Amino acid sequence: MNDSSVRRLYPWFTVLGLLVGGLVVAAFYKDQFREWKEWQRRYIKQEIARAATPDQRAQAARLPVEIHQYVLTEPERVDRCATCHAAVEDPSYGGLPQPLAYHPNHDRHPFEKFGCTICHQGQGRATTRQAAHGQVEHWDRPMIELKYIQSACAKCHLPSDIPDAPQLARGQAVFEDSGCIGCHKLHGSGGVIGPELDRVGATRSPEWLLKHFKNPAAVTPGSAMPPIGAGDADLQALTLYVMSFTGEPLSAYYVSMKTLPGTLAGRRLYEERGCPSCHSLAGKGGKLGPPLDQVAKRHDPQWLMAHFKNPQAISPGTIMPQFYLSEQETRALTQFLLSWSDTNVIGFLKTPATMTPIERGKGVFRKFGCAGCHGLEAQGGIPNPNAKTAQQVPGLKYVSEGYTKEELRKRILDGQREIVSLDTRKPPAPLYMPAWRGKIAQGELDDLVEYLRSLTPKGEKLDF
Amino acid sequence: MLERLWKSFQGTRLGRSVFRVGLPGSNLERAQAAISSFFLHFQPAKVNLRTLKFRTTLGLGLISLYLFLILSVTGVLLMFYYVPSTTRAYQDMKDLEFVVTAGQVLRNMHRWAAHLMVLSVVLHLCRVFYTAAYKPPREFNWVLGVCLFLMTLALSFTGYLLPWDQLAFWAITVGTNIAGYAPVIGKKLQFMFLGGHIVGESALIRFYVLHVVVLPCAAILFIAVHLWRVRKDGGLASPAEPAVLREELQPAQLPLTKTYGLMELARGTTPMVGIKPEEEVFAWPNLIFREILLFLATVAVVLVLSIAFNAPLEEMANPVHPPNPAKAPWYFLGLQELVSYSAFWGGVVVPGLIVLALLLLPYLDSRRRGVGVWFSRQRKLAIGVFTFCLATAVVLTVIGTVFRGPNWSFQVPWKPAPAATDGP
Repeated sequence: MNDSSVRRLYPWFTVLGLLVGGLVVAAFYKDQFREWKEWQRRYIKQEIARAATPDQRAQAARLPVEIHQYVLTEPERVDRCATCHAAVEDPSYGGLPQPLAYHPNHDRHPFEKFGCTICHQGQGRATTRQAAHGQVEHWDRPMIELKYIQSACAKCHLPSDIPDAPQLARGQAVFEDSGCIGCHKLHGSGGVIGPELDRVGATRSPEWLLKHFKNPAAVTPGSAMPPIGAGDADLQALTLYVMSFTGEPLSAYYVSMKTLPGTLAGRRLYEERGCPSCHSLAGKGGKLGPPLDQVAKRHDPQWLMAHFKNPQAISPGTIMPQFYLSEQETRALTQFLLSWSDTNVIGFLKTPATMTPIERGKGVFRKFGCAGCHGLEAQGGIPNPNAKTAQQVPGLKYVSEGYTKEELRKRILDGQREIVSLDTRKPPAPLYMPAWRGKIAQGELDDLVEYLRSLTPKGEKLDF
Repeated sequence: MLERLWKSFQGTRLGRSVFRVGLPGSNLERAQAAISSFFLHFQPAKVNLRTLKFRTTLGLGLISLYLFLILSVTGVLLMFYYVPSTTRAYQDMKDLEFVVTAGQVLRNMHRWAAHLMVLSVVLHLCRVFYTAAYKPPREFNWVLGVCLFLMTLALSFTGYLLPWDQLAFWAITVGTNIAGYAPVIGKKLQFMFLGGHIVGESALIRFYVLHVVVLPCAAILFIAVHLWRVRKDGGLASPAEPAVLREELQPAQLPLTKTYGLMELARGTTPMVGIKPEEEVFAWPNLIFREILLFLATVAVVLVLSIAFNAPLEEMANPVHPPNPAKAPWYFLGLQELVSYSAFWGGVVVPGLIVLALLLLPYLDSRRRGVGVWFSRQRKLAIGVFTFCLATAVVLTVIGTVFRGPNWSFQVPWKPAPAATDGP
């Protein structure tokens, strides 16, 4: 019982041995033909075709086919997008079809410091197209569509401070106009009737958000939220702005942009450096220099920055002195001037000393999001099913008739939790007046009361 | 041709210095191949013909061993790319998938070999039971085997956490919570497993060390003793074995027809006691070659699975986002089903009794009947009880896997209950 019986086994050795060998080869075979290698080879072919001299051609031919990655240490990320998008840093590839296209303004946010996924999202570590664009199961941050790319700016910048992201600023304005924080908390402050918005940009898709703004009850059955009455372009801007609420923790290096001087610091500088002695804003100030209300409509931001740095060079013969401003101060002042030509920038950007109590009160009305329930400019009309007040949240146009100043103050501070029902058999009304005690300052309260009392149309006589 | 190449290599000084015995050509050399080789000497020089037949054992013990080897090799290779930190672990899994050459296949091999090993170890346990190969003198070897079974489960469980994705995190949360249901020591036990109160950084490093150092070393030790005991207890259990207890063994008669010069001392419990010459064959090449073939087949199966199916990787572990339902690894789903009936009785008492019963089995059922025979009629009661328990375990596992949906509610797999909605 020796070799003869094992000779029968020899064919099995061959079969299994070849099978195992073949499988090992197959396992490595898949690696050789990874899709990113194809894209890099096309880029290298382009480089070879563009080479002017034989030397350059040889250099291009020697380019290795390898993974390109940007490694960021905080946040810990590795972005391998440039493996396929090999020409992102080469301006001569502008306008070419993806993935060979150049990334516009690539030096503004250097990729070594920012990577790609901070703005574009997606799965930076992946090296296949579907996976890298995040369009796979088990990845909840897919690449955002280009039309919403401005929402990423708000992760590090203040929305009103970005000249290149006008839709973002518009979205913030619509957000504040519509009074969303009257019912929703954001960054710790706001109402409690609706859910918090801090991470809504990360948990909801833009399509859902848009549908939600147009008709909340269709998307969330039983919602008490009224539809946002704004045009399509404004709703798009609002969606874009809300998408920026991702709650992503970014390190101080990136987020410090929010604390860098912008419009608000610019306002302070404007007053401190004595600009109102020669220039006027909203009719207040000197008349030696031109009024600055619409200056941003006449000149672009680069002109303004250059003019601050050296007025004589830009406007020869001017008597405007050199102020030797730092780069940050120049930037802040420019932002401030830019904010003036945007008519949607609200009143409290004006210097408080120059505002009337009613104007300030309007700012308070916006700040606390009262319009969310009481309607834009407090005209009412927001549905509140089963509320005795005609199943609506009451408008505030006639509060001066029904309330004294003290009663109004008390009402705002104490709120009204229990809303009288029209039909006690049905569920109570969902919207109620929150108590603003502890949230609204005394001065703000006074101004708000003034504003509300000013809403009564002049000359109208009520007949009750 | 290969033989000629080999023979010429053997003729060189280098060849002779490495391989003391060349390719065996005579019976003496065949015997020496087994007993004077380091790697092969855990085999005896000669084995019973029965051992060569596949249906004797279905090779399940060997398959388990081979899978352990595959796991060790792929495991070490994976260790080159993996750091057991909550911020690194998941990213390293992604790097394996996208960057490392054959990284995905490597990971798949490790995962599927792990699942297959749990399965083959269970089947091996069943085989040993059904062929009554736990009866004296093999009682202690059975106990070692049960310990190895528990070690296999522990290895699989500790490894399950390492990818640090949702699947891993919540499976281990469920598993350690079940451990926490033990009376008196439960919470302390859970704290010991996790190195804390939560599944976090401490748990990850602890599980990693257990998975990579402690449990493999313990397993290797136990495997070594397990294989040693197979030899010393008389090889594979056979019906032709002398049906006597250890103390009553008589020195066997030397068969008169044997004429070769190897000492064939035949006393004690080695496999050579009482064997007839027509029943025995040399381990080299008859057994060794078949073992190598089985190894190749095992590797082939693992490779096929690894190339065809990717190991799962869900989102990164998120402690505030539990899946509904959160399920333990499949080999614990029967246990989780039991726990859903009663945490104490189902999670602690019943599994504890099962393990105790398994460990004490050969000491409770030591009448030597039906040894080495599949499904012997002399053991109907034992076989019946075991099969019932096995079937129950399988049914419970299947229910836990397929028929349990959100909130552990009963659902049929073709009409799954909708999970709690959470956005688009």
